[in-house]
Amino acid sequence: MPSGQFFVENIGYVVSAPFLAGLLIVLGLWRSKTISMLLSVGAVAFGFVYSMFLFFAITANPKLVPWQINVDWLATSNFHLSMGLLVDNLVAVMLLVVTTVSLLVQIYTHGYMREDPGYSRFYAYLSLFTGSMLGLVVSTNLFETYFFWELVGVCSYFLIGFWWYKASAAEAALKAFFVNRIGDCGFLIGILLLLAATKDIWGSHVVLGYVDPNGFDLGGVIQRAHQSGALSAGLLTLAACLTLLGPMAKSAQFPLHVWLPDAMEGPTPISALIHAATMVAAGVYLVARAYPIWLTPDGHTGSIGLAVITVVGAITAFMAATIALSQFDIKRILAWSTVSQLGYMFVGLGTGAFSGSIFHLFNHAFFKAMLFLCSGAVIHGLHGEQDIRKMGGLKKYMPITAYCCLVGTLSISGCPGLSGFFSKDEIIASACKYNVWLGALMIFTAFLTAFYMFRLYFMTFENEYRGDAHPHESPPVVWLPLVVLAFPSVLSGYLGFNWQSLNGLKFDGTEGASLANQFAAFVHFGQVPHFEGMNGLIMLISTTAALLGFCLAWAVYKTGSVHVNSDIATSKQPLVAFLYDFSLNKWKFDEFYLWLVNEIFLPFFSFIWQLVDKYIIDTFVNFTGVATLATGSVVRLMQNGRGQYYALVIFAWVAGLTIFAYIVRP
Amino acid sequence: MLFNFGQMSLTWLLFLPLIASLVIALANEKHARKLAIVFSIVMFGLSLLIWQQFHPALSGMQFEYKAIWFNSPIPVQYHVGVDGISLALVVLTTFIVLMAVLASETITTRPKLYYSFVMLLSLSILGVFVSLDLLQFFVFYELELVPMYFLIAIWGGPNRSYAAMKFLLYTFFGGVFMLGGIIYLYSQLIMLDPGASFDMIALARQCPYLPKLIQGIAFLGFFLAFVIKLPSFPLHTWLPDAHVEAPTPISMILAGLLLKMGSYGLVRICLGFFPNTVIDYGKWIMLLGAFNIVWAAMACLVQKDMKRIIALSSVSHMGFVLLGIGCLSSLALQGAVFQMISHGVISALLFFLVGTVYERCHTRDITEIGGGLAKQMPVLFYFWMFACLANLGLPGLSGFAAETAIYYGSFTSIMVSTLVKGILGKPVVIFATFGVVLTAAYMLWLLKRLFFGPETSRWAGHLSDARPNEKLIAWSLSVVVLALGIFPLLLTQQYNPATESINRLMVSRLPGSH
Repeated sequence: MPSGQFFVENIGYVVSAPFLAGLLIVLGLWRSKTISMLLSVGAVAFGFVYSMFLFFAITANPKLVPWQINVDWLATSNFHLSMGLLVDNLVAVMLLVVTTVSLLVQIYTHGYMREDPGYSRFYAYLSLFTGSMLGLVVSTNLFETYFFWELVGVCSYFLIGFWWYKASAAEAALKAFFVNRIGDCGFLIGILLLLAATKDIWGSHVVLGYVDPNGFDLGGVIQRAHQSGALSAGLLTLAACLTLLGPMAKSAQFPLHVWLPDAMEGPTPISALIHAATMVAAGVYLVARAYPIWLTPDGHTGSIGLAVITVVGAITAFMAATIALSQFDIKRILAWSTVSQLGYMFVGLGTGAFSGSIFHLFNHAFFKAMLFLCSGAVIHGLHGEQDIRKMGGLKKYMPITAYCCLVGTLSISGCPGLSGFFSKDEIIASACKYNVWLGALMIFTAFLTAFYMFRLYFMTFENEYRGDAHPHESPPVVWLPLVVLAFPSVLSGYLGFNWQSLNGLKFDGTEGASLANQFAAFVHFGQVPHFEGMNGLIMLISTTAALLGFCLAWAVYKTGSVHVNSDIATSKQPLVAFLYDFSLNKWKFDEFYLWLVNEIFLPFFSFIWQLVDKYIIDTFVNFTGVATLATGSVVRLMQNGRGQYYALVIFAWVAGLTIFAYIVRP
Repeated sequence: MLFNFGQMSLTWLLFLPLIASLVIALANEKHARKLAIVFSIVMFGLSLLIWQQFHPALSGMQFEYKAIWFNSPIPVQYHVGVDGISLALVVLTTFIVLMAVLASETITTRPKLYYSFVMLLSLSILGVFVSLDLLQFFVFYELELVPMYFLIAIWGGPNRSYAAMKFLLYTFFGGVFMLGGIIYLYSQLIMLDPGASFDMIALARQCPYLPKLIQGIAFLGFFLAFVIKLPSFPLHTWLPDAHVEAPTPISMILAGLLLKMGSYGLVRICLGFFPNTVIDYGKWIMLLGAFNIVWAAMACLVQKDMKRIIALSSVSHMGFVLLGIGCLSSLALQGAVFQMISHGVISALLFFLVGTVYERCHTRDITEIGGGLAKQMPVLFYFWMFACLANLGLPGLSGFAAETAIYYGSFTSIMVSTLVKGILGKPVVIFATFGVVLTAAYMLWLLKRLFFGPETSRWAGHLSDARPNEKLIAWSLSVVVLALGIFPLLLTQQYNPATESINRLMVSRLPGSH
């Protein structure tokens, strides 16, 4: 048995294995479907086993980390941009999430994409994505993160546009990349601002590095730059807000969220892996990784940067939940719920629940991946049907999928005892502490979450089947990953829960005793972990809200005893009709952005380009040509288009100018 | 002596294409292509050999050879040599010429003449990169006009004579400015030092000591010549026309190599000879660069012709070079040189791919093509996707390394804090970063409109995928783009000492640095 040291220091193989697999498939192994699949799955399986060992090695011996290694990527004699590998607790957790979900999704893919002519290509993209995502996780500095950040983005582009012959998929892929590029541009400017302010401080240390034993990491350097006056608090806030655009685009936060629901045009395994569990969480991961950027210059919370994160997250969580209420496409409902949950994570980061937010990322990855895989099994079983109005009663035909979906639904709704409950509760408690109205909004959103998730569940699996396909359960290779994911969906929450805290639970609005929990002790910001006591009252209220959501969904969609849904949809009352339309049309963001591009930017570009290049410059050029020729009295030769005359005249002109300059020399 | 590698290798490399053009001209029409391929391979091999023998750590020129012809009335000599910057461009030249020759498969009219001209063209490009004498530099710089004019005017598209003429006029206009600059500079120097010559190494030493105004005037002559070639707003309108009409392989050379003559001249002469002027006016060069990046990217968004998009995108990408050279940062200068190489390869790949689509569809109009090409041309689709991503600066591909060095370098440079008392400096670079968004938009939109979507009935059954020859070219170019993108140090370590010494020279002239 190799030592823990061994696992830490050979992390590079985990990152390179999927890249190598992808490369080999691209270079010709795609001809064999089986070899492509085995290579791709093998690489990530290796990564999964390795991450397990690594995780246990670190828990057994925390002194092994942080560990990092760096090499120069671009260098001049006084400036070095590095690429490297970093291992610490946060990395270990993320590695587990990425490799677990990736492995299960890749196994599932074998069943889901078996008939597709692009089977090998799909595995090549999956490998490329997994490698890039792992690279992003182990990045040692902001620049390297940016590097892999764009690579995961492009994999997302490839996979959304996987079925390139679908016009909608082509649109969605372009949109995803474009919106992400807007975020990346902000990210880049943020990096540049930080770098310009701190360039003299880094010295021989890793530039923009996250971790440094001597304090020359982001946090330490920002502090030093602030003390030396190079980085004012205002400038840091500006850099923080611009950098945040990157995570906002990647994690589909308001107002850059528009690409994620459309990204559902890609095959479902991708929706599960990239657009639910891993890549979209990269934004949250980046904020957590580079947390000092959003703090005050001397490293405290209460900064404007964090407030912005909170507001963005809260708007996103609420907005996405209201939109999810009225959608009918099974994958898009899940996509909106992803957007909403990512909003929760942002609120957690913004209000100081650092560990809670990462915890939610961790739990969400499992149950959301499972929910998406369930939706894939349903779509597969119904031969491509995605409209929940044409589903119903599927529990009879696909019981395994139905039960898995129920577990996921309970978990995301915050049912006590399931994983989603623990982490969401931490975030809601933190939000309540930050601002009571914010807390109320988060609790109301939790109510909406429970409602639309159970709406999805009831309309899909309960009552009678409304479609005309022949539903059937999927093969084991498809349902096995679901069942495997059901376990962490239930259990992963207990990692962040201390049984002792039940003893001191009070329901008078005050916190119980702060007791250590394993997750927060493992992943935290700063030198020592910070634990929150549990607030029984808030827990009670949010659970009640979720229960209300469930009951409403039950009444409307299971028993059919209440008809608010059809009442609202067909309401003639202007306000209600407007709100319904607003929700159905996703708050009209797409219309607005399209209008902006098609009616403002492109016409403006077209106009100004025509004006300047075509009319002004070319007219001037032609005029100069004519004038030159006129002075040379060779106008008649113009029709012959004889270059030497033009040239001769120009030459004479410039020769004259030269002599002139020589005569009147200064 | 003739076979002394250290001295004669560059001369051999330089005159190989001349020999080739003569041999091809005298050979049978049937053998023209084969001969051209053999000669290009030999040239490429020789340049790689020089690359391998080159010592990046040594300062100054290497493989130098000098022969004085006569000294009176003006000193005329043959002087060649390379440092890391020019050597990188020499290797790029032989590589792209080889690719262009391979891509000339479809040229069937008068192949003898065609390949002779291509070889003559590579003589002049190589001549520009290895010359260490200003007159010699000028001769090679102007020599390029002749083969290029004919290559466009004979083998070009329907509107070729207009395009060829526009190209000739613009470039000639620039060339004359340069000649003016050369004569002016010499006339000024000869008054200070009767032994003055056109030797570029000596000039780089002497010019900084001329009065500022004289430096400025001479600088202007050279600068105008080079930005026309680059090309830069507002002197760029010849480029789209020339590209659209030029045959595919010539577009590859035009974008891949000819534009680099301009950017090389900027680095070697404008920066190397006139550091004081760059210190005073570098900020405006930056501004021009940033404007180019965004302006051309914006123009790309509203074009209807796919080749015109790629052509204008060259203007945008060469804007990075301007941004990189104007800011007195060794990192940004390193990036500018990297951008020359990177853009050379990427644009050659893009123009080649545009050619493959044009050859099959016989139109360059995007709406006429109408999408869905991926159905029948999957392999070309993947190469297209690769090239588009390379062009928009995807990490892991060469464009990203160049852009990173230029953005990071310019934003942290000395110059950025002096532009309009530092108020405008950072906003200028930030403005340039908008290019990141616009480039992604026009490249991927182009890709979508050509390849994505349902197949149109018009093309069903009419198109064919890449031929082996096409795959060879696309693979070769792609591998270079990928290798440089993953290990930029492979290239930068070769020329970094050279860019640093140019930058040191400039920084040492900053007021207050003594």
